[in-house]
Amino acid sequence: MTTRRIIVEPRGLASARLGLMVPTIAVMLALILGAVFLALTGNNPWDVYVKMVDAAFGSSRGVSETLISATPLVLTGVAAAVAFKMLVWNIGAEGQFLMGAVFAAGVGIALGDGTPAAIALPLVILAGAIGGAFWAAAAAVPKVYLGTNEIITTLMLNFIALNFMNYLIFGSQSPWRDPEVSQFPTGRPLPDNGRIPEFFNRLDYGIIIAALLATLAWFLITKTRWGFEVRIVGDSTETARYAGIGVPSKILSVFLLSGAFAGLAGSLYVAGPVGALDPRSLDLGLGFTGIIVAALARLNPIAVIPVAILMGALNNAGPALQSIRVPTATVAMLQGAILIFAVGGEFFIANRVRRPEKKPDTAAEEVGAS
Amino acid sequence: MADTPSVATDTLAVEFRNIDKAFYGVKANDNVNFELRRGEVHALLGENGAGKSTLCSILAGLYRPDAGEFLLEGKPTVFKTPKEALAAGVGMVYQHFRLVANLTVAENLALGHPKLGIRIDQNRLEDEARELGEQYGLPIDPKARVWQLSVGEQQRVEILKLLYRNAKILILDEPTAVLTPQEAQALFKTMRQMADEGRSVIFVSHKLHEVKQVSDRVTVLRQGTTVGGADTKDAEPRDLARMMVGRDLELPTRGENLNVSGVVLAADDLHIDGDRGLEAVSGVSFEVRSGEVLGICGVSGNGQRELAYGLVGLRVPKSGKVILDGEDVTGATVSQRIDKGLAYVPQNRLGMGLAPGLTTEENLGLKAYRKPPYSSGPMIDAGAFNEKGADLIDRYDIRGVRPGLPIRLLSGGNLQKALLAREVAMNPKALIARSPTRGLDVGATEAVRNHILAERAKGTGVLLISEDLDELLALSDRVLVLYEGEVVGRMAADEATPERLGLLMAGQREEDAE
Repeated sequence: MTTRRIIVEPRGLASARLGLMVPTIAVMLALILGAVFLALTGNNPWDVYVKMVDAAFGSSRGVSETLISATPLVLTGVAAAVAFKMLVWNIGAEGQFLMGAVFAAGVGIALGDGTPAAIALPLVILAGAIGGAFWAAAAAVPKVYLGTNEIITTLMLNFIALNFMNYLIFGSQSPWRDPEVSQFPTGRPLPDNGRIPEFFNRLDYGIIIAALLATLAWFLITKTRWGFEVRIVGDSTETARYAGIGVPSKILSVFLLSGAFAGLAGSLYVAGPVGALDPRSLDLGLGFTGIIVAALARLNPIAVIPVAILMGALNNAGPALQSIRVPTATVAMLQGAILIFAVGGEFFIANRVRRPEKKPDTAAEEVGAS
Repeated sequence: MADTPSVATDTLAVEFRNIDKAFYGVKANDNVNFELRRGEVHALLGENGAGKSTLCSILAGLYRPDAGEFLLEGKPTVFKTPKEALAAGVGMVYQHFRLVANLTVAENLALGHPKLGIRIDQNRLEDEARELGEQYGLPIDPKARVWQLSVGEQQRVEILKLLYRNAKILILDEPTAVLTPQEAQALFKTMRQMADEGRSVIFVSHKLHEVKQVSDRVTVLRQGTTVGGADTKDAEPRDLARMMVGRDLELPTRGENLNVSGVVLAADDLHIDGDRGLEAVSGVSFEVRSGEVLGICGVSGNGQRELAYGLVGLRVPKSGKVILDGEDVTGATVSQRIDKGLAYVPQNRLGMGLAPGLTTEENLGLKAYRKPPYSSGPMIDAGAFNEKGADLIDRYDIRGVRPGLPIRLLSGGNLQKALLAREVAMNPKALIARSPTRGLDVGATEAVRNHILAERAKGTGVLLISEDLDELLALSDRVLVLYEGEVVGRMAADEATPERLGLLMAGQREEDAE
């Protein structure tokens, strides 16, 4: 009769160690794949990787730039993690990030120099959250009340947000546009009172705020009644309805919260390193990279922080590669490979793969098949 | 197995020797031996999870055994697909039918038939289908589309499909589970006829009286292995039951009704729509008093689901009233009704009653989490979940729980115990339970029945909605029959017999009812 070479069976409980190991292996496999690619294109992979590590972490300036790149990724990563955890497929962190930036820059410019920083800065940051939540609402409300597919709507809203920002700067004489510059249009600088202070080279306190917000997201999901309800809805909407939980309001609140986090990424970035609604500095796909961050962090908002730093390091290392004539796109390729391996790794977290044994093992008790 | 009556090998249609089959490390079949003769109805008896379906699925080509020998007409055989099995004359009617709902009966028969080419002669096909149906006592309109048919009629189509391909071995997996007693009798006639023609019929069941009535021989499975076999006429039902369960079987039944008082749950002329906008519940009224069990019986799909949804608040009735503990709650939300003491054990445990990915402790707090000690203000207290959960796990003997383990990995019996524990722990005034022992083994069935009767003794009003007549008759004080959304019969349990209920379930009204 037939004998099977390997046996795949669902794991009951994935250990914490495994949850750490699989993403680590995913990154390593992506680096190996990248090395093959680099070798085939005539580069020495070792040299390239050394250069990247050096650019990202080799100097105090490198470290601060890495953390600057990581700051928005922490928040777009949390945005994706919070939504995906509840099976709300918000692919629109990109657009929500940009709308957050537009709102933040708008409020900063409107408040002007006259408003003290203690008032202006919180308002600028908050405006980003509102902008992001507003843009998320454009997809969330139709989803909840009309049943539209949020993957499609959020994806399309990304393009609307991008073109709206471009219109404000390149296509019109809007208040966001810097009137001083006529040659190549850019955003009007925010007043100093609307900017986040720097404390380490160019690094500002945005990274601290982002880390605190990620912790807050974790707290909301695991410790509050709202979070408990959200987890039930994410697990089974039927069960949630049965338990008397208002499913539409939960989906709506998670979607808006997700948008708010992405919007906060936008406001921290505008009020931090960029300092203006500058499309060239904002249209970097930071919302999309957040999806990779969330996947690699296995949707854990705390784990998002170190993963965002890793991704920030990769982003930051990109330009340095040009000096040794390696295309910057190598970084995007590595990030894509990491996502694919991380998602593939989920299979090994959910399932155990082993060779058949003579005796049935004791794992039998934890499986409900019959 | 030594106690299987031995026969000359050359008359055997099928022989299984020492068959093993495991899923994810769980042995579903462990050293199973089975012999099927030509021209017999052979009952396969066993509890849920005893390995009956696995054995049949191996025979029908759906699974391949891990080890052991499978002889068809004396020749070693391996079926790679159900199609191969069917070509060799082995066909199965699954519990969940495999028909194309939008096609006609005749088209379903033709589907995948090797003889038919691209062009199909509809008229000839329909004539053949009609004749075949008449020949075997399976009357059916060949032009009807499958979705228009009742469950019993769909089953006939499945059997006709096999006969149309001239299957020599027919496997019927718990065919009577979806039938009224009268429909079951008609099916038994057909089975007899098929066997008399020299076909072999495997009849899977866990109902002893049916096995006794229709089969020539019986094989008993327990925990994946064959524990015995006999000629049916020599087998005592008691012995078969002991073989099946491994011990003497005595399921609890209701005792004296001591604690009955006021009405706790009532429906007043309820009209509720089904999923497709058609009225599924049409003018249902009843009262459940504290300390009694009101049974609602009916073939599945006659408005039970919509009625339950309307009562618990998952669907808004078109008209009529729901009264809970003297208060009109027709417009109240699910959580308001929970707060007023309405507990609900839904039919679909993992799909509705429990959050499969959350832990057992979290699931046990699923109804009470809004109140202390589970939560204070906007915060929840994980410690309270664990403490309260541990207490319930202990008291209700829920086994297999480990810290952090998602509840979906518990067995069906333990899932149901957890679900019931949670509902009962809220000290409900009224408890609605739908098919609470469906799919459970005897041990778990016993525990669940005892918990329901304990609630009755405590003074809870219980509404038991079930398709299992034995269960309804054992637990209910009064029974009400639902047919096409209407109450077609009401009686005290003492006046109810399976035959009487069966006729009402099939839509035959009693002139003298009420």
